[in-house]
Amino acid sequence: MNKHIKTSISIALAAGFVAFLFGGWAIVVAGGIAGLGLGYYLFGQSKAQKWQDSIKEALLPTLITAVILLALSIFQNYYVAAAIGKKPIPFNTMLQANATGIGGLIFFSFALTLMHILPLRWQRIAQIVLLTFVVISFPFIDKFTGLRWTAQVIFALIFTILALGLNIVVGFAGLLDLGYAAFFAIGAYTTGILSSPQHGIFLNFWLVIWIAAGVAGIFGLILGAPTLPLRGDYLAIVTLGFGEIVPVLFKNLIKVTIQEPFTCWILPLFRIQTSCITFMQDVDLTAGEKGISPIGRPILPIIGEFQSNNPIPWYFLIIAIILLSVFLIQRLRDSRMGRAWMAIREDELAASQMGIDPVRTKLLAFAMGATFSGFAGAFYGAYVRGIFPSVFDFSVSIIVLCMVILGGLGNINGVIVGGMVIMSADRLFLPALKDFLAGLLKATILPALSSNPTLRAAVEQNANPILYRFLLFGLTLVIMMAVRPEGLIPSAQRKAELRSDEEIAADQAAAEAQA
Amino acid sequence: MLELTDVHTYYGNIHALKGISLKVDDGEIVTLIGSNGAGKTTTLRTIQGLLRPRSGSIKLDDLELHKLPSHQVAAKGIAQSPEGRMIFPRMSVLENLEMGAYARTDKDGIQQDLERVFGLFPRLKERIKQKGGTLSGGEQQMLAMGRALMARPRILLLDEPSMGLSPILVDLIFDTIVAINKEGTTILLVEQNALMALSIAHRGYVIQTGEIILTDNAAKLQENEMVQKSYLGVE
Ligand SMILES: Nc1ncnc2c1ncn2[C@@H]1O[C@H](COP(=O)(O)OP(=O)(O)O)[C@@H](O)[C@H]1O
Ligand SMILES: [Mg+2]
Repeated sequence: MNKHIKTSISIALAAGFVAFLFGGWAIVVAGGIAGLGLGYYLFGQSKAQKWQDSIKEALLPTLITAVILLALSIFQNYYVAAAIGKKPIPFNTMLQANATGIGGLIFFSFALTLMHILPLRWQRIAQIVLLTFVVISFPFIDKFTGLRWTAQVIFALIFTILALGLNIVVGFAGLLDLGYAAFFAIGAYTTGILSSPQHGIFLNFWLVIWIAAGVAGIFGLILGAPTLPLRGDYLAIVTLGFGEIVPVLFKNLIKVTIQEPFTCWILPLFRIQTSCITFMQDVDLTAGEKGISPIGRPILPIIGEFQSNNPIPWYFLIIAIILLSVFLIQRLRDSRMGRAWMAIREDELAASQMGIDPVRTKLLAFAMGATFSGFAGAFYGAYVRGIFPSVFDFSVSIIVLCMVILGGLGNINGVIVGGMVIMSADRLFLPALKDFLAGLLKATILPALSSNPTLRAAVEQNANPILYRFLLFGLTLVIMMAVRPEGLIPSAQRKAELRSDEEIAADQAAAEAQA
Repeated sequence: MLELTDVHTYYGNIHALKGISLKVDDGEIVTLIGSNGAGKTTTLRTIQGLLRPRSGSIKLDDLELHKLPSHQVAAKGIAQSPEGRMIFPRMSVLENLEMGAYARTDKDGIQQDLERVFGLFPRLKERIKQKGGTLSGGEQQMLAMGRALMARPRILLLDEPSMGLSPILVDLIFDTIVAINKEGTTILLVEQNALMALSIAHRGYVIQTGEIILTDNAAKLQENEMVQKSYLGVE
């Protein structure tokens, strides 16, 4: 019971933090997510057999979360908003927002807890229905409440696809790849080159996205090949190198000349005069630092061309790509190839004695991982309309790796959660925190510092959490590794591997006692 | 059916096998005995394709094994319970056994062999869901042998299956080796425990610093003075 109360308080505080940062209608989303989190936790812990018991179990934790969240939300609107120089929203609106938010919290919390009493098969179906409802309704709630989060959530989802792809390489096959952004870049540039005025080629997005995935996959094979004899640290260093080289290459492919070597170089060496066959003379492939833009956007029959000012079609497109990716990756994991990946990860020598070809297996891991980043790259290019080499630097590889580790190496659901958590922190919370701090400082200590303009400027500029984003990522990782090394939602194997031998022994003893 | 002819294997500059020739016929248990560091494991690794011989040939019937990478050697019907057992530590007992049958596609046959392995080692059935890395030494040895059997190999290579086991377990393992052989699997057994190995084998080879110094049928080797002195501890 005690644990339930602790959990509900932490969830309430986390949701309250969101409400604090954004204010107003954010309570709707905060309440909904808090309800999902709490309900999921209670569902996992529940021992109820009858629905009455379920309700009893959910009652107190839900009530506690609701009261704390409501209190924080009201406090925010009437005191904090004023303190950071924002106008409180009108009473009526606030009433509606809070009622919806707290209502959502209570609904999700009870709904999920109650699912425990369903038969196993129906539990899964009910969860899928609930999740579908949440995913579909999100952009409309977002639009209705004027929060404008969808555009940022789309970025989070793009990175989630990257994390899903990297999880194949790192989580399934155990190959530490520090240069995964290279494949993202290759996917995006393929899209840019094939559907923009840069070369006057305007292929249809629905075609280009497959080509981009294919090209990225082929480069996965090409860049994977030299790393094959390497293990562990060495592999990481070589992939790191590729990750650095590829964006630099795209930056410099601005005067590409391709000539037929025999007639142009070899024969002239022997002073034989021929006409040289040139395929390409000083062609600007990638436009260097300027980047390629505008990139063609998807077009659908009823919706027409996707527009920048309406994120909803983009949102559903990326959700569709994620569903497809998850489906394919699950199939891969359960296939023969998936089992070969796991065996290679565990013990390469033993695996080869089982008849597994290590070369083929590892190359396919690189290629499959890269393919999914090709999807992400194509979508990214079309969504942002332009691509620039600086977007694909080392930090992208590291952030994606953080997502995989934070979520739980090898676990598909975990990686999705990890991706959403890190990217919403990066795209939504840090900017909001920045505004929040700026407002707070302006309303509190900055006026007192007006006599000392240097100090004032220093305080004003440094109170910007976006400056510290990598520090914060690093800190998150360190804390995570110390507190919960198996990730938020670990795969069963990973959990077993990281737990101490004593715990395993205790488990065994318990299992034997049961038998 | 397996024949090594004048096989030389090196680790860098170290000349570990100095012209090994041996052969194993269909249905036999052949043992390769020798003291620590003699080159027994190196011989098995060379057969398995994990090490490439610098010269000499390894043939399975008419097939030149020494030209194949190890995963293809496995596919030709050679399975090994290796030194150190090399269990997949984070896979369950069942998953380990299924990995043994990776190269096969005959579902019914795999299921049959699974039953057969559980018949030979009932202990493994009790531990079916346990992670390989958490098994005891004896159980890991059973798993390594079971996993090799799951490939339904033509020849089973066993590298010191008695190592580190209690006398009772050693008896159990050797009884099982005989049982496996009776069911039709040809076996090449590498052992330091010469007494036990010669008691179940048909023929034997004695290896010393990378060379075969003696070969005969097992009963004769047991009588041999040199063998008795060096390997059987008879004064
Ligand atoms: N990986 C290795 N690198 C270098 N030398 C090795 C390696 N493995 C074994 N050796 C050497 O090869 C010789 C034979 O070793 P091995 O086949 O393991 O002996 P056995 O299995 O009979 O105890 C020994 O002298 C050993 O030191
Ligand atoms: Mg040895």
